[in-house]
Amino acid sequence: MTPLPLVGPRIRDRRRALGVTQAGLASTLGISASYLNLIEAGRRRIGGALLKQIAEALDLGIDDLDGAAERRVLSDLAELAAEPLLVGLRLDPATALQLAGHHPGWARALVTLHRAWLDRGRTVSALSDRLRHDPFLPDAVHKLLTRVAAIKSSAEIVQGAQDLAPDQLRRFAVIVGSDSQRLAELAQVLAAYFERAHTAVRSVTPVGEVDDFLADRGHHFPALEDAAEALRGAAGITGDGAQHAEAGLANYLARAHGEHLPPASPRMALARRAAELACSDGPLADELRRATTLTNEAARRRAGQVLTDYLAAAVLMPYDAFLAAARAMRFDAEALGRTFDTGFAAACERLTTLHRPGAEGPPFALMRVDAAGYLSRRVPLPRLPMPRHGSACPLWAAYQALQSPGAIVRQLVEFPGGERFVMVARTVEQPGPGFPMPRRLASLMLACDALYADQTIYGDGLDLSSTAPALPVGPNCRICTRTGCAYRQEDPMIDA
Amino acid sequence: MAAGPEFETSAARKVLIAEDDANIVESLSFVLGRAGFEVGAALDGNEVLRRLRVEPFDVLVLDLMLPRRNGFEVLKAIKAEPTLRALPVLVLTAKGQPQDRRLVETIGAEAFMTKPFSNTDLVEAVRRLVRS
Repeated sequence: MTPLPLVGPRIRDRRRALGVTQAGLASTLGISASYLNLIEAGRRRIGGALLKQIAEALDLGIDDLDGAAERRVLSDLAELAAEPLLVGLRLDPATALQLAGHHPGWARALVTLHRAWLDRGRTVSALSDRLRHDPFLPDAVHKLLTRVAAIKSSAEIVQGAQDLAPDQLRRFAVIVGSDSQRLAELAQVLAAYFERAHTAVRSVTPVGEVDDFLADRGHHFPALEDAAEALRGAAGITGDGAQHAEAGLANYLARAHGEHLPPASPRMALARRAAELACSDGPLADELRRATTLTNEAARRRAGQVLTDYLAAAVLMPYDAFLAAARAMRFDAEALGRTFDTGFAAACERLTTLHRPGAEGPPFALMRVDAAGYLSRRVPLPRLPMPRHGSACPLWAAYQALQSPGAIVRQLVEFPGGERFVMVARTVEQPGPGFPMPRRLASLMLACDALYADQTIYGDGLDLSSTAPALPVGPNCRICTRTGCAYRQEDPMIDA
Repeated sequence: MAAGPEFETSAARKVLIAEDDANIVESLSFVLGRAGFEVGAALDGNEVLRRLRVEPFDVLVLDLMLPRRNGFEVLKAIKAEPTLRALPVLVLTAKGQPQDRRLVETIGAEAFMTKPFSNTDLVEAVRRLVRS
């Protein structure tokens, strides 16, 4: 392997640190002092036997000299520089080489800290997820409150004892006594749990912040729905669906904003551009101004994109028409994608926004994941835990769908806390560079509470009662309590 | 005491308590009985629906965490059955989480009360449902 130019200075530093002269080292190595000088000045590249010989003479590991250790540090530094938190510093990759060469100790310190920081972050979010979705906690609190309810109710009866027969009085006093004992035991179990667990921390990543913002707003933006209707009016769009909107949007862009998008631009791109031009100073900016929970620029940018996509989707799939069609088609996302010419993915996204009070669809969760397990879209439901970072449970339909591209995978699943959902997933092809580069395939999954599944085509043929067999799944391995699961990839973070 | 006998307003009214905790069933039966209601109890979700289909009740007090068929399912089945739909349901649960409450309201419960409740409030809520 060709060493980097920094090998020379490193040899010189080490030689000097050992108090060896250039001539002395040259004679040990059986080379001329002037050749060693060229090597130390970085003007001769060396490798193989000579490099090995120098490493031995200077009591160094070969990877300290052949650049392998250095390349590792450099690639780690590059990863560090790409950290969204540091992007604003505009670190120059070229200077990483100097840092690693001249101050290897400092470079390693940075890399070590970065790794520790990443690790802490993952621990914190896993703990936070664990606490929010741990079936143990709601279960324990439920038992606790049930006991308290029994005690309180009986105690109230005993308090009004004047009109009570002695045997009744005794009976309710016994209940108070025995339930108090059980309450004390439960409280101890709960206290022991908290000795092991830690405090939950709210996400600080831009993606996490935007997820929280969308969830706080209930994934529905009335002002943007109105803006979409206004934009449809301005563009003279009458029919439903993207096909009808295409010409109107192209004309509108040319007429109102003097823009001509290339012919055959995707309809979604037309709608997005029109939404941006028409509303970025109006309704979109208003929504962003109200998003006070977004703490940094990256999060605001991301939220801006998500809201623009929302508006574009509302232009192509107007609320009332889409809801009516969805009900008629029993929320069949593929059929809706065909009817509105927007495709499966856009129809799935739109299904998660049907929360207009008085005209609501069933609540849907959504996630998009690629073959590496990267979770790029996440619309959770209050009862459906979805990890903020890393992968979910390998049994989820989203992952199963990647095994048979193009086919719909449907599952009735049960979580450790007893929550049941119908999950439906299919792969979607994302625009990529084309042959010979790999396809960009992602898996898109919709999920709805089993209670609502009978309203959808995806509940057909399933026994949706809570005692029917269902696939046992979890949130993700780190926080899952199913100890005997054959699909487990990681040990649980906290033993249940 | 508000939970005292008031036979004149609630005589012959029948309440079904759907609850799997025997002690709660006992104390609720007592206070509702003393308030003049005729009280029945069902310990799991399937039994609730079985009872309701053969015997008329005026109010159902429904716990969410029932064995065999949970309270959500029972409520949904009641609201989907033309002969049962009009039965007022008071959902009683220890899981007072807002998402549960929302779900219950969406399915169509008439009232919602979290544990621990006070006997007086519960009797009052049942009376209100009977009157309405």
